[in-house]
Amino acid sequence: MHVIDFVQNLISGIAVGCIYALAALGFVLVYKSSRVINFSNGQLIAIGAFLAYALAVWARLPVLLAALLAMLLTAGLGFLVERVFLRRMVGQPIISVIMVTIGLASVLDGLMYLTPFGSGNFTFPQVLPQGGLNLGGISISYPQLLAIGFTAVFLLLFGWFFQRSVLGMAMRAVADDQMASMSLGVSVQRVFALAWAVAGLTAAAAGIVVGMVSGLNQDGLIAIGLAVFPAVILGGLDSVPGAVVGGIVIGILQSFSTAYLDGVLSQVGLVGGGSQYAVPFLVLLIMLWFKPHGLFGTEEIERV
Amino acid sequence: MRNPWAQTGNYRTSYVQDTTIFANYREIVSVVGLLVALCILPQFLERSQVLVLNFILIYAIAVLGLNITTGYAGLISVGQAAFMGVGAYTVALSAPSLPFWLTIPLGGMVAALIGFIVGIPSLRVKHLYLALATLAFQEIFVWVVGRSPALAQGAAIPVEMRNFLGLEVGFRTHNYFWYYVILFVLVLMVIAWRNLLRGKYGRALIAVRDNDRAADAMGMDPGRTKLMAFALGAFYGGVAGGLLAYLQRAVVVEEFTLGRSVALLAMAIVGGLGTVVGSLLGPAFIEFLRLSMERLSEWMKASTLIQSITPAGVDVASALLPLSFGLVIVLFLIFEPRGLYNWWRLLRSYFRTWPFKY
Repeated sequence: MHVIDFVQNLISGIAVGCIYALAALGFVLVYKSSRVINFSNGQLIAIGAFLAYALAVWARLPVLLAALLAMLLTAGLGFLVERVFLRRMVGQPIISVIMVTIGLASVLDGLMYLTPFGSGNFTFPQVLPQGGLNLGGISISYPQLLAIGFTAVFLLLFGWFFQRSVLGMAMRAVADDQMASMSLGVSVQRVFALAWAVAGLTAAAAGIVVGMVSGLNQDGLIAIGLAVFPAVILGGLDSVPGAVVGGIVIGILQSFSTAYLDGVLSQVGLVGGGSQYAVPFLVLLIMLWFKPHGLFGTEEIERV
Repeated sequence: MRNPWAQTGNYRTSYVQDTTIFANYREIVSVVGLLVALCILPQFLERSQVLVLNFILIYAIAVLGLNITTGYAGLISVGQAAFMGVGAYTVALSAPSLPFWLTIPLGGMVAALIGFIVGIPSLRVKHLYLALATLAFQEIFVWVVGRSPALAQGAAIPVEMRNFLGLEVGFRTHNYFWYYVILFVLVLMVIAWRNLLRGKYGRALIAVRDNDRAADAMGMDPGRTKLMAFALGAFYGGVAGGLLAYLQRAVVVEEFTLGRSVALLAMAIVGGLGTVVGSLLGPAFIEFLRLSMERLSEWMKASTLIQSITPAGVDVASALLPLSFGLVIVLFLIFEPRGLYNWWRLLRSYFRTWPFKY
């Protein structure tokens, strides 16, 4: 029985981790291309998910179309954010740019409170059949399968985009060396804008998957945005594969800490459980102490 | 005719002058005048107004600390509220057995120790990563407090302080008594701040912030300088938190969340990073904004017209605060990165040759 429980937890962890991996992808892209730590990622996730909900339930579009539209719209929002706020900050110290994203997160929060989504829970319309696969006692629900499958498809698309397409290569070039790519005719501005658009796109994708797996709620969605930070530090801030691995590892850790650690903690004297919210950040701190560049991040030669 | 009282800018011309606190007698007179004004101000105010003033001064202390970490050392801290929380909980736990003039520094010290631990990565990595370390600490702090039965799981822990040297601090005098305590602590902290930053250490901080490699080459230890800045900023936060605990007569975890950390950062930015004047103007501005937003939302709740046009389920009141905070941060960063301090400077320079243009 123990083994089955273990595998079950592992699978639900991987499913959650896939969501983090999706959300982390866009974050890493923005960091890679412009060295900006995006604190408004959680808000982008929430907006993407709520847009999809609004389109699917209120405008009665088919769910798949609604999801696609929501992703495009959130990508547009990311693009707009870069255009309106971040482009003005070019040349400013990087601290100011990061603080702009903190302010932006607050603004987006406020905007969401202006809609009915600011409070309450929302459930996506059921598109998947109830239940799931049953493999020798281990059950995988269809939403979990969907989360894993969706992430896999997205990663393949991304892999193709970065390895083969001209724009993807331009983005990698800018991430590597802005000056050199500029002198070779790559429009750095366009790449920045594109990075933010992709960040919006992946954030929305993550939000939609959350909506399909469980309910939507603003605080919960923003908490996912925060959990992206441990994932990317674990994987290395500037590594795309690292983001995926980090996201999945954090998801598994969360699932295990709910299953195993909560009981231990309540014996120690901490009540209420919920260690899944603290463990990722503990991992973040420990990583920063011992291996700050993460598992796959480039170790900068330049020290402190 | 230049008005010497409206002089702006740095008129220190020699190293000896540069290490002084006041450049000339006019600065001393202005500061003394300001202090006297602050001392007699509560006489003209009601109890509730003094309370607002108390909050502003407490946040000013926390923002001073933030100005060391973020303003001088260039490390973004989104955990200053958590450091305040560490100070507040230290005070709450030690208040029954120790007098307040011991518990408040103790709170600062514990916060500094924890700041030191959180800041350890600064020995190895650059500032970007530190923002994430403080974020992690902020989240872990709220979680731990919320789950610890010893800390009432984040619910209110009463902090009582009934009399001081035989003087009874009752319901009516509470706000006034703590106003003077907070003002005194603030003055001490400003003096310490200025003394710290005009000396060798402050210069090292500026050097490390502006170019860490050059600073390293000149014999400063960038990692240790930053770590120290981190601990100092946390110390200021802890002291502010301790004062807050006494002022509110209780400690609740809601006071020390990520949202509050962002608000403190907003105060530092709006005021102007790295300045004492800004550390006072920023909290005043943000608190004023918060109060007016609260009043606005109360008015909106009362008005039937607005109630009738907002769709069901929309809570405009709770949207106003994050919206205005975020907008203030973003707009100040884009249009006035030097903050209100710069407006103060411009205002004074306008009066330099007033009423003539030149």
